[in-house]
Amino acid sequence: MTLTGLAATLIPLYVIGAAIYLYFASTLEQNQRAQLYNLALNRSNAMQLFLAERTSMLEVLAHTASLEGLTSPGELKKVLTILNEHQHSFIDLGIIDARGDHLAYEGPYPLEDHNYGGEPWFDETMQRGVHISDVFLGFRGVPHFVIAVRREDQPQPWILRATIDSEVFTRLVRSGQIGLTGNAYIVNRSGQFQTPPRFGGNILDQASFSPTIAPPGVSVVFREDRDAGSLMTAFAWMTSKDWLLVIDRDPSEPAAPLRNTLRIELIVLMISSFLVGGAVVFHTRQLVARLASEDRNRVATEAQLAHSARLVSVGRMAAGVAHEINNPLAAIGELAGLMEDLMDDTYLASSPHAELFQENVRKIQLHVDRTRDITHRLLGFARRMEPRQDSVNVNDVAIEALSFIDSEAAFRGVELVQRLDPDLPLIKSDRAQLQQVILNLVNNALDAASEEGRIIVSTRSEPDVLIVTVEDNGSGIPPELQSQIFDPFFTTKAPGEGSGLGLSISHNIMKGLGGTLTFDNAPDSGTVFDVRLPRTQE
Amino acid sequence: MAIRLLVVDDEEDFLRSIVMRIKLRGIEVHGVTSGTAALEYLKANPDMVDVVLLDIKMPGMDGLETLRRIKTCCPSLETIVVTGHASQEFSCLGHELGAFDYLIKPIRLDAILERIQAAYRARQTTSAE
Repeated sequence: MTLTGLAATLIPLYVIGAAIYLYFASTLEQNQRAQLYNLALNRSNAMQLFLAERTSMLEVLAHTASLEGLTSPGELKKVLTILNEHQHSFIDLGIIDARGDHLAYEGPYPLEDHNYGGEPWFDETMQRGVHISDVFLGFRGVPHFVIAVRREDQPQPWILRATIDSEVFTRLVRSGQIGLTGNAYIVNRSGQFQTPPRFGGNILDQASFSPTIAPPGVSVVFREDRDAGSLMTAFAWMTSKDWLLVIDRDPSEPAAPLRNTLRIELIVLMISSFLVGGAVVFHTRQLVARLASEDRNRVATEAQLAHSARLVSVGRMAAGVAHEINNPLAAIGELAGLMEDLMDDTYLASSPHAELFQENVRKIQLHVDRTRDITHRLLGFARRMEPRQDSVNVNDVAIEALSFIDSEAAFRGVELVQRLDPDLPLIKSDRAQLQQVILNLVNNALDAASEEGRIIVSTRSEPDVLIVTVEDNGSGIPPELQSQIFDPFFTTKAPGEGSGLGLSISHNIMKGLGGTLTFDNAPDSGTVFDVRLPRTQE
Repeated sequence: MAIRLLVVDDEEDFLRSIVMRIKLRGIEVHGVTSGTAALEYLKANPDMVDVVLLDIKMPGMDGLETLRRIKTCCPSLETIVVTGHASQEFSCLGHELGAFDYLIKPIRLDAILERIQAAYRARQTTSAE
């Protein structure tokens, strides 16, 4: 029951916790993807804009200035200064004729005497008119890339070529890096780094993945990198140049708040589980205890009801039997009484057996009286009657009560001892009820007394009370039961052997008679019951 | 004036004996064995009975019904109910119907006579009022 209660309360709690966590994780991942996508798109646009601007500037220059003007001494230097006025993005400028020779050069490297005929970028520019190269080492031995535009001129075309400051370009790319572990770089179609990555290689090294994994346009994927492990990567192909912008991000880094959320959630769940579990266990135990107690009470009540029902049946049967006996008994009594009435002196003198007849008739009446006492007691025990005020000799009542059990006591070998005060005064009380009390006590004493035991009934007089004491030498009343012995239906006898009403009725009768019924342990063993009657003399 | 008593009981041995014993004690007494006979006797002998000693459990008309009818025809009569069947219901019903007392068989003749005399005294007091 406790486990079911715990499962019923904790499982929903954990399901809700897991759902909240998954919802958070999913939302975070979506946000991360969206952020990375937007960043890649944004950075890619910025770089294309950068290249487009530089290309336009060179195109405008090539198509507006004359070859003579540009190749005149100091002119190219002036142009380079103007181009770099706002942003230092051009390293050098060169004018190259159709054979590949420098007509003019302005820059930090001694490249004036180099011939570029046969260089891939040169051929490409001559062929297409405009060309943005991949990064390469070239004659200067330093990674760089160039933008070159061709001018169709007479007598022959020429090329305006500029080297772009890769630092400026790299800064532009790196502005796409996020957090402590983010990485942003460009690779060309064959997978060579075009800008130096933050981790995992240098410019012109081969990247650890093939750019063919990147779908066209802008995309965000999860991928496993052999060096960096799990990565969330945004790819953005540029439209004006076959370069791929790559922005890597460790997905666990932005998940730090999620981990905190998870930690807090777990702590809250643990505390909640502890509290809920405690409450469930506590309440379940209480419930089980209450059910068990109610079950015990129900069983006890049912047993009591069954006992009461048996008592009622027994009572009815006893009353029926008593009634059936009373009528013939009354007839016997009256017939015997009539015989005694008719035995006058003449009759007594007429027969030698007359005296015996007379004595027998009296004995018949005596036995009728005795039987009447029994049947009246059977009929009267359960009845509540107002106490009568008879003149009572308590010694006679005690002797009578003992007479009811003398044969049973003899059978069991129990000695009946009378210690009656011969000077006991008569008192006003209800004889029948007092007899019922003393009879109950001697009956109980007979049940309690051991085999070959002893019952002592004594009477004595004190200034205000008469005391009848019934003492047995049984095993006594255990302390834990002493508070219950006057309760109705309390009995230590086997089921069906005692109603549990005797002491309860006796206690109530004594209250009605203005006296008390108390008990104590006997000096040796057993129990002593004291009946105290108010000494109301006639 | 002597007490005039009517004893009603279906137990003939009891009836015969008690009637004779009461007669021996100088009381004018008549015995009948049923409620119907008692009512007929009372009708035939108006003002000839002071006290009725009435059994309850009788075949035919029982004692309580007889008591009810006696109280209707002769309200001044005192009735003592005697029965071998003791029950609170009978006792209460007897008192409600106006019985003077309720005795349980078997009972000593002395006790019966004492209650008869008490009933007679009560009747005398009621009549005087």
